[in-house]
Amino acid sequence: MELTGSHSLTQPPETVWRALFDPEVLARAIPGCETLAQTSDDAFAATVKLKIGPVSARFKGEVELADKEPPFACTLSGKGSGGIAGFAKGAARVTLAPEGTGTVLSYTAEAALGGKLAALGSRLIQATAAKLADEFFTRFADVLNETTTTATTD
Amino acid sequence: MTQRFAPDRPAHIGQPHLRRNALRHLAGRGAYVSDLALPRMVHAAFLRSPMAHGRITALDLDEARAAPGVIAVYSAADLNPMCQGWTGVLSHFAGMTSPAQSILADQEVLWVGHPVAMVIARTRAEAEDACEKILLDIDDLPAVAGFAPALDPDMPAAAEASASNLCFRAELKTEGAAAAFDGAALVVEGEWRFGRHTAVTLEPRAVVADYDPASGQLTVHHGTQTPFQFQDVYARQFGLPDNRVRVISPDVGGSFGMKLHLYHEEMATVAASLKLHRPVRFVADRLESFTSDIHARDHKVKARMALDGQGQVLAMEVLDRTLIGPYSTYPRTSVAEGNQVIRLMGAPYAMPDYHGVLEVLFQNKVQTSQYRAVGHPIAVQVTEALIDLAAEKLGLDPFEMRARNVVADDAYPCASATGYRFEKLSHQESLRRLRALMDYDGLRAEQAALREKGIHRGIGLATFVEITNPGAAFYGVGGARISAQDGAVVRLTPGGEAHCAISVTEQGQGTETIIAQIVADQLGLTPDQVKVVTGDTDATPSGGATWACRGAGIGGETALRAGRKLAEQLCRIAGAILQAAPESLALRGGAVVDAATGAERLALAELARIATYRPDTLPEGTDNSLSVAQHFAPQGYPFGFTNGVQAAWVEVDTETGLVKLLKHWVVEDCGRIINPLLVDEQIRGGVVQGLGAALYEECLYDDAGQLLNGSLADYLVPMAGEMPDILIGHVETPTEDTILGAKGVGEAGTAAAGAAVMNAVNDALRPFGARLCQTPMTPARILAALGIGPTERDETWN
Repeated sequence: MELTGSHSLTQPPETVWRALFDPEVLARAIPGCETLAQTSDDAFAATVKLKIGPVSARFKGEVELADKEPPFACTLSGKGSGGIAGFAKGAARVTLAPEGTGTVLSYTAEAALGGKLAALGSRLIQATAAKLADEFFTRFADVLNETTTTATTD
Repeated sequence: MTQRFAPDRPAHIGQPHLRRNALRHLAGRGAYVSDLALPRMVHAAFLRSPMAHGRITALDLDEARAAPGVIAVYSAADLNPMCQGWTGVLSHFAGMTSPAQSILADQEVLWVGHPVAMVIARTRAEAEDACEKILLDIDDLPAVAGFAPALDPDMPAAAEASASNLCFRAELKTEGAAAAFDGAALVVEGEWRFGRHTAVTLEPRAVVADYDPASGQLTVHHGTQTPFQFQDVYARQFGLPDNRVRVISPDVGGSFGMKLHLYHEEMATVAASLKLHRPVRFVADRLESFTSDIHARDHKVKARMALDGQGQVLAMEVLDRTLIGPYSTYPRTSVAEGNQVIRLMGAPYAMPDYHGVLEVLFQNKVQTSQYRAVGHPIAVQVTEALIDLAAEKLGLDPFEMRARNVVADDAYPCASATGYRFEKLSHQESLRRLRALMDYDGLRAEQAALREKGIHRGIGLATFVEITNPGAAFYGVGGARISAQDGAVVRLTPGGEAHCAISVTEQGQGTETIIAQIVADQLGLTPDQVKVVTGDTDATPSGGATWACRGAGIGGETALRAGRKLAEQLCRIAGAILQAAPESLALRGGAVVDAATGAERLALAELARIATYRPDTLPEGTDNSLSVAQHFAPQGYPFGFTNGVQAAWVEVDTETGLVKLLKHWVVEDCGRIINPLLVDEQIRGGVVQGLGAALYEECLYDDAGQLLNGSLADYLVPMAGEMPDILIGHVETPTEDTILGAKGVGEAGTAAAGAAVMNAVNDALRPFGARLCQTPMTPARILAALGIGPTERDETWN
């Protein structure tokens, strides 16, 4: 399954770039995120609870960053195990392009499901993934606005 | 020569008796293993591989062991050493190979759904919850999923234990095959793809294993069609004497061939009961059924047919490739379907030459094996599509084309170019009956008239030959411990009623009803006076039970001979009581009568009373036995072939690609008809299953070997609302191999329904130059054939 999308953010690429690697921001932005910890410069471990179609699962997984071109592009890849629900894995190329004072964040992602998630959720996965991506970026933008606002007030 | 069955005698054989278990089922009094609850019973759930192929790098069961309600958690290390591995190869499939199987995945997982760990808990819910707590890590290995990777020589094998992905190759060739094509006036050809589908039984696989260490008795309540086979398997694999293993198969909610294979979960359940000394229950849920029940078909066939200028078929050339699982299924193998595909090609036709090649390939999907009409739908669909193509090229009517080519009714006995020997079939008569039954000429006129209005209807025909009543040539000769014989014990009760315990089983097809009819006729009783017991290895003699359409032909003959043997014994006792020659007596109307005059001499109830309670009044030396045992194995022809022809009348919506099934006809010759009602039920049910495969049912996988439609929301089965009226006609050509003369009928409907519908759809689409050659014929594929939307073959072709 392939997913693509882009979102406009009001902050410049440098700010967005920093936020993308900030565990606190990510923990708040990722839908269903229960824990998120940075395990190395380029790796995070997370627990995320998701419902795809009829299957609810708590995914434990790792996300790695590669091919970084700060502050314009990077590749995120990861795999999450959802226990008896199966697994999800994927990779996304994210690019940040300046637009006025803000940034356009675009992504192209490949995702795959396995096990029960694939058997029961395949029909719904495209819609679910699109919804999750949308939810992530909406929250990401909210968190960014909040933090940058706080920063300005300080 | 044994005395032939005499149809002129007043008889219950041939009468439309109602299926005797129907009322019980309707009243909600069915007794299914799924509903069984035993004292101290515990429940099993399995953690399964979410990956098609991989290596287990971590498996931590500790947290699951501590979960609420959990009694035990097992991995391969716990269970696999308890039994021998099993390998699904048979020696008559020369050169076939397969990795051995064991209970749980050990290091390597081989398909999505492969059981890795087993949790036993107080409830199924607790067992499932504990599965969540198992830590399983798997490193991906390349998955073989589809023909392209399976045929790629650089692709690693689906299982590390296999040298390559080729499980079996077979070739059949007559001497004149190549020359027939060289000299042909016309050659037609095509390539067909048959999707994977599965049985989707209403009741999923169910087993309750109950080991009692005090008596050393293992009792397995098992929703299967072959209890004796499993008695033997459990005894041998777990090292128990077979008389200490009892398999009980009560009502079974559908089996269709799917419930006679050895599955990992059943073996694990037995193993757990042996360990825990208490009853363990496993009942598959629907997703587990989709990922662990055997699948069927998954073939790609390239074929061509050579004909002379008059439309006479000279030869066929066939390459059948089929994708199975990571190993061959035990004990019947995964190659029997392909083997029947290449041998049934062109079977109804007087075709002198043939060249067929079969390649069976491993892949990382759940295993495939025998399912209703094994191989028949594929052979029939390919043959009948080529016959239609040839008729079109030659400007011949499809009926005429078939009439010119079927083996003549007076040409028997004969053999096919593929080596099958036919005793006596009735293709010509069947075609004549069908033509009248469906008003073929009227339909053609209606079709033409509707074309003018833009309504596109099609007529499809499909002749077929079905394999029934197999002898030991089917499996036994290859070393399989699968019985080709059956056994019965028939007795007269002290009250003068009859009791028949027989090894053929009741799967809802009415076995018990026909056995009662047959026994009743031998004893001069009515069927409701005959109690029939099946499905319990402790209660009946051993036998093959239900597979390959053998219940009526072989089980029926067993019952008939047992009944006759008892009748002779009863006449001997009556002769002693009446001081008459036993040969002068017969059994009719619940009494011993004078054979010549029909005058009643002694009621059976009185005979039973004397033999049971007053044997002292019998002359000295009289054998007072009221029970007889009889076994029967088919001799003579290795298989009892049947034949028939089906026709479909469909309408195709060329804008939506939807097919409407308007009517379906079957003319069938299953030999002696024991119960016309049940024969028709079998044919109708079979047709519906064939239509499901042709139009709706397909297990869809992605190229990583992930099953994508593991629920009944996404996997379509035929529903009553979509089904056409199915009209049935009969020709009756009894086999001379038995007294009863019956052959099988259970797979006839499935054998050719899909072929008839595909030919009908292609007939409807003919003016558009469109042709379907993939099943199921989904709306998207029909539109693609019409050039609407994506016209490339979708990924399921490969």
